[in-house]
Amino acid sequence: MNRMPVDADVTYYGRPMIKPTVWGVDIPLYYYLGGAAGAAMTLGAAMQLASRDPIRRRELRKLSARCHWIGIIGSSIGGVFLIHDLGRPSRFLYMLRVFRPTSPMNMGAWILAFAAPGAISTGLFINRRGLLGALGEVSGYVSGLFGAALAGYTGVLVSNTVLPIWQQSRRWMPVLFVGSAATTAASILELFAEDEPARRVTEAFGTVGRLVEIAAAKKVEQLASAIPKVGEPFRQGAPGLLWKAASALTIASFVVSLLPSKSMKKRRLGGLLGAAGSLCLRFAVHYLGDASARDPKATIQLQSHELPERVS
Amino acid sequence: MASTLSAGEATALEVRAGRDDTVNRSSRKGFFTDTTICIGCKACEVACKQWNQLPDDGFVFTGMSYDNTGALGASTWRHVAFIERPVALSTQDGGAFSWLFSSDVCKHCARAGCLESCPTGAIVRTEFDSVFVQPDICNGCGYCVMNCPFGVIDRRESDGRAWKCTLCYDRLKEDMEPACAKACPTDSIKFGDLEVLRETARARVERLHENGMHEAYLYGADAADQPGTEGLNAFFLLVDKPEAYNLPPRPVVPTKLVKETWTSFAFAALGLVTVAIGSVFAARR
Amino acid sequence: MAECHPVGFRWVMKAKERGATIIHVDPRFTRTSAVADIYVPLRAGSDIAFLGGIIHYILENERFFRDYVVNYTNASAILSDEFRDTEDNDGLFSGWDSEKAQYKPENWMYAGVEPQAAAGKRESDSPTDKKGRRPIRAEHTDPSLQHPRCVFQVLKRHFQRYTPEMVEKTSGVPARLLTRVAEALCHNSGRERTSAFCYAVGWTQHTMGAQYIRTACIIQLLLGNLGRPGGGILALRGHASIQGSTDIPTLYNLLPGYLPLPRAKSDHDLKTYNELNQSTSGWWGEFPKYSISLLKAWYGDAATAANDWCFKHLPAITGDHSHMNTVADMADGRVKGYFVMGENPVVGTVNGALHREGLRKLEWLVVRDFQLIETAEFWRDAPEISRGEISPGDIGTEVFFFPAAAHTEKDGSFTNTQRLLQWHHKAVEPPGDCRSELDFIFKLGQRLKELYANSADPKDRPIRDMTWDYPTEGPRLEPSAEAVLQEINGYTANDRKLVDGFTALKDDGSTACGCWIYAGCFKDGVNQTARRKPHWEQNWVAPEWAWSWPHNRRILYNRASADPEGKPWSRQKAYVWWDDEKQKWTGYDEPDFVNKPPSYRPPPDAFGKDTISGMDPFIMQADGKGWLYVPTGLQDGPLPAHYEPQESVIRNPLYGQQCNPGRMEWMRKKDNPYHQPYDDPRFPYVLTTYRLTEHHTAGGMSRWLSWLSELQPEAFCEVSPELAAAVGLINAGWATIRSARAEIEARVLVTRRIRPLQLNGRTMHQIGMPYHWSSKGLVRGDCPNELFPFVADPNVSIMETKAISVTIEPGRHGKNRRYITSGPLVPELPDREEDRDLPAARHRPETGHHDKTDHTKEGHE
Repeated sequence: MNRMPVDADVTYYGRPMIKPTVWGVDIPLYYYLGGAAGAAMTLGAAMQLASRDPIRRRELRKLSARCHWIGIIGSSIGGVFLIHDLGRPSRFLYMLRVFRPTSPMNMGAWILAFAAPGAISTGLFINRRGLLGALGEVSGYVSGLFGAALAGYTGVLVSNTVLPIWQQSRRWMPVLFVGSAATTAASILELFAEDEPARRVTEAFGTVGRLVEIAAAKKVEQLASAIPKVGEPFRQGAPGLLWKAASALTIASFVVSLLPSKSMKKRRLGGLLGAAGSLCLRFAVHYLGDASARDPKATIQLQSHELPERVS
Repeated sequence: MASTLSAGEATALEVRAGRDDTVNRSSRKGFFTDTTICIGCKACEVACKQWNQLPDDGFVFTGMSYDNTGALGASTWRHVAFIERPVALSTQDGGAFSWLFSSDVCKHCARAGCLESCPTGAIVRTEFDSVFVQPDICNGCGYCVMNCPFGVIDRRESDGRAWKCTLCYDRLKEDMEPACAKACPTDSIKFGDLEVLRETARARVERLHENGMHEAYLYGADAADQPGTEGLNAFFLLVDKPEAYNLPPRPVVPTKLVKETWTSFAFAALGLVTVAIGSVFAARR
Repeated sequence: MAECHPVGFRWVMKAKERGATIIHVDPRFTRTSAVADIYVPLRAGSDIAFLGGIIHYILENERFFRDYVVNYTNASAILSDEFRDTEDNDGLFSGWDSEKAQYKPENWMYAGVEPQAAAGKRESDSPTDKKGRRPIRAEHTDPSLQHPRCVFQVLKRHFQRYTPEMVEKTSGVPARLLTRVAEALCHNSGRERTSAFCYAVGWTQHTMGAQYIRTACIIQLLLGNLGRPGGGILALRGHASIQGSTDIPTLYNLLPGYLPLPRAKSDHDLKTYNELNQSTSGWWGEFPKYSISLLKAWYGDAATAANDWCFKHLPAITGDHSHMNTVADMADGRVKGYFVMGENPVVGTVNGALHREGLRKLEWLVVRDFQLIETAEFWRDAPEISRGEISPGDIGTEVFFFPAAAHTEKDGSFTNTQRLLQWHHKAVEPPGDCRSELDFIFKLGQRLKELYANSADPKDRPIRDMTWDYPTEGPRLEPSAEAVLQEINGYTANDRKLVDGFTALKDDGSTACGCWIYAGCFKDGVNQTARRKPHWEQNWVAPEWAWSWPHNRRILYNRASADPEGKPWSRQKAYVWWDDEKQKWTGYDEPDFVNKPPSYRPPPDAFGKDTISGMDPFIMQADGKGWLYVPTGLQDGPLPAHYEPQESVIRNPLYGQQCNPGRMEWMRKKDNPYHQPYDDPRFPYVLTTYRLTEHHTAGGMSRWLSWLSELQPEAFCEVSPELAAAVGLINAGWATIRSARAEIEARVLVTRRIRPLQLNGRTMHQIGMPYHWSSKGLVRGDCPNELFPFVADPNVSIMETKAISVTIEPGRHGKNRRYITSGPLVPELPDREEDRDLPAARHRPETGHHDKTDHTKEGHE
């Protein structure tokens, strides 16, 4: 039994104690696109729910379609990035060899396996008549549910690791990812002109998304910084800068969205800022995690805070 | 007895000797690495590389004492750490200095982070209770790399798959001990039944304490010792803090903490659905 | 030992487990020190002072094992009146001949006895000295050890000045630590306990290398640790079969079994040769049996009594043809050809630039190795070539490279540190053109035989007469290694029956034997060296694992493990003992004596081995005693004295005589300049070289393998934090190190494992460098041996690589210069050679030659 007090000043030549991720830019891009896709599909499903009334349906048709397109493109291209990042891309289907609830990545593979085809099926069939239309409706709800999972599971994915920043802020990471997903979806939608009431749907969705993203980011940083060495990357280096940029852009996007003007320019600006902010956020999270992995003191301090009784 | 042995006879003799050395009470196998008798010769590193035909990891002079290997990785499955300290060992008269050696290896944890996070099921628990990556299934997603609290497993970029110590699974199946244990000249690396190793280790610590080496202790010997991993099948006898050896002081398998994250996810996903529905309905007027 | 013999070190660790105390003495803290109980840092080159301090402790505190010392050593022998010790001459013994620059040891002898050596170097004997064929036994002894001229008292007086304070001043070892070590040794020696010494080239590679070992011998004899289990002095060899290569020698002056090569000047015929080498006392009395059996093995039927058994076929030496002398001769254009087999001398020996100069003047060079090592590539890859000072086009040497088979690709034997012969079996056929040494030499011999088959020239007779009919086997018709081993074992000439041991050898031509000490290794027609009986099936000595010489004896001189009556000194240290009932010796090992009872005393007309009494364990010595004092046989003194290395940083604190007066020097200003003996302002630090576990010798077997190369990829020097701070060296940075001979660059490792030492009030810094690197292979670097000059121990001509003076600076400022081709690397200062010797020991012959070695031995013909 090791009864020695933990000492973060003792390291092995300053070498990392754990390994950083082997992931490249593919993965943050997947967070971004997959997240947007997921949030969009949820919104689409919500519109399905609210559109038993044919008039309403017609009003929201364009918005619905756009959501479905974001769902299809985001989950497909996101899937491509995911496969590209694999060491053996030809073996991507092996993810579905097992159903393993302990592994967020395995769960994510299943989620994507339902969400992506679901999105495609929805897009293809939802406005058809008859059996296909019914199929489209069902897949719309299915992709809505799986879309919500898609938007949030990646938060679990990164937190279920040993990288100190991610592990330490695990309680708020899924919330952050979901919020960012909603912001991204809304921001993309804001690049297009919309009539009422679609515009109000997007606006509401996007505003809440931005607020959640901003608040959750603050909480993530706060949780991580409760341990000095763990939180250090937020305050220095390139990842820290990126994180601050993300915050700034998202806040700017939120402010712009509050402006009373109804011009297309303002809408597009808000959308661009939001999209950029979320993109920066995804990359910032990725690089911050790696930065915390490279510092052995972060791991040591993290573990000295983690009390054995708390683990399940 | 013939004056020389044929290859078959020699192997049979080795197998018999190996079997007689361990009592097969259980099938849980592991390593007990007693760092107090390690002489830092790196025979374990070379034997492992040779048996598994691993590629070299580059020729880099690190300036870290005699450790130019650096860390475990996809192509290095045994790594000897060298620690020069400005304090003496309590049993040594050599001035205020000591030099510690420790041969690091995959811990084959009882709760293995890599295994629990592997999405393809490539990483499995063998009949010897070791953790094994099936190279014909691994698709190189790299998630295991981020789930090892000890920084052991890694993805080999030239090959795409994740690799780590196999506890010489192929040798175990032939009743032989792992290459590193066989090569270790001082038996610092002891291989055998986990229960026997634990008894041996505890007796060794007691003996060392009696002889005045009070710094000696076991690292990861069982679940009580290391609840975060529930015990290591490859555990150690150390004489300094784990951090000094680049070992995590209180490692935790991430899956032990994941419940609250999934809970958070559930709320977040639910929240997303609610907000989506709310946005649609709120925009009615 | 842990660094260089990790597998052998297993047994040290097991001993430690059982409570043994491990003491490690070394200038740097190594992997051995890390697991030792006591670590003693000392200045490289000061071991005699340290060991002398231990002797001082033993004698002053009367901790010696009296019964053993009185009965089994020459402690009681009384010395000649004319002997003078270093105490009388400020560091010189009596008998220094400044004309010949060597000692004349006549007055080192026991009172009233003529000198007669055991074997080996006999150059110091006057060849015509055959007066008195009495056994060499002290005429006068004093068992009470009180007589002022008895060896014991002389020893005591000699080591009186090696006090703890003096030792600290000289070696940097704190007095307290010396006392602690001495006390630990004394406490663990005697009837109930024994202590062992292990050493390697850290002791031998000095200008007083042989005397280092001698000092340890004295300690072990005084403590009664020789010939006893758990005792002894273990010479850890530097290579798997270096012991074998001195047993069946690759040394210029020896024949197999340590028979000396004939000397052209004195050994005109076999009778003279045998007489001069045969000892009238001890086992060397059987000398003619060994020499004639060897000749029969080599020349078979052609060797008859009529032609002196082809004695004249043997080459005879005319001087010292050791390695450095031969290389110097090469550099002077006197050597035509050179075979280099399994060695890499431009890296592994000193002053590589001088070596390469030699290689450039050869007509032909043959290199056999696994890879194109630096010695084979000297003509296109060398510092002087990369600098453009020498052009390959100007080198006329024809270089042949033959790829060699690895030890797994051939049958053969290793003879290790413990004289254990272990057979290794071919596991795979060698690839491509790779061949074993055996095959190469055999086929070369076959071709030479063919070439000279019809020659009438008498110089070709030896080749024509030599037996070369080994059976061949395998797809490549390789000679059977076992057949060679059988010849080495020996057989009776008429029926080719293998002999059981060297006692079966005769001097009438009826036996043949390739190496008398190996006789018995193929006993009963079984390859004893290939035996692999596991240890759990035999006693703890395990005599049925492999075979050791002589006669499978595992501990030499094991008579000493029993008291004068033949009973073990103690039950727990019982090894061999006299069984009075059966009237023979018995025990766990092969006893030295078989039937000779402890009570046997030699009759007055006894000869050879019969002069050894039942109480004389050291049977290879002329008087059967362990020699605390060496009356004859060593070039540089009957007792060890501390001298400084050729290039030191301090004056000798003990004597006015700075360096070993008998040292071999090569006074060649053009290619072998020396530093000032001490206080050379240009070279303020001590450099010592050594090995790492990860690499092997000059790198030929490790720097081409990726798995070893990645463990230690670059040449580096180790410096203390204090030196690093003083000079500006940075860990993992670079440094440039210079001597008068060369400049090299290396990475820097700043470590507390190297300590500055306090010597005589001054802080002295040491720099350590492993020597494995050079310019070829997967991992490359500069070779520190290039910094060293030619200078050697006079007894065995071994180079001094363990201590020179150097300078160091941070950064890469070397231009890869070598003095020989680039000129002076540092400002020139007068050499002050005279400061190395007292006036009485300075030798200045009137020959105009500055080559000291011309006069050290018999000179060149």
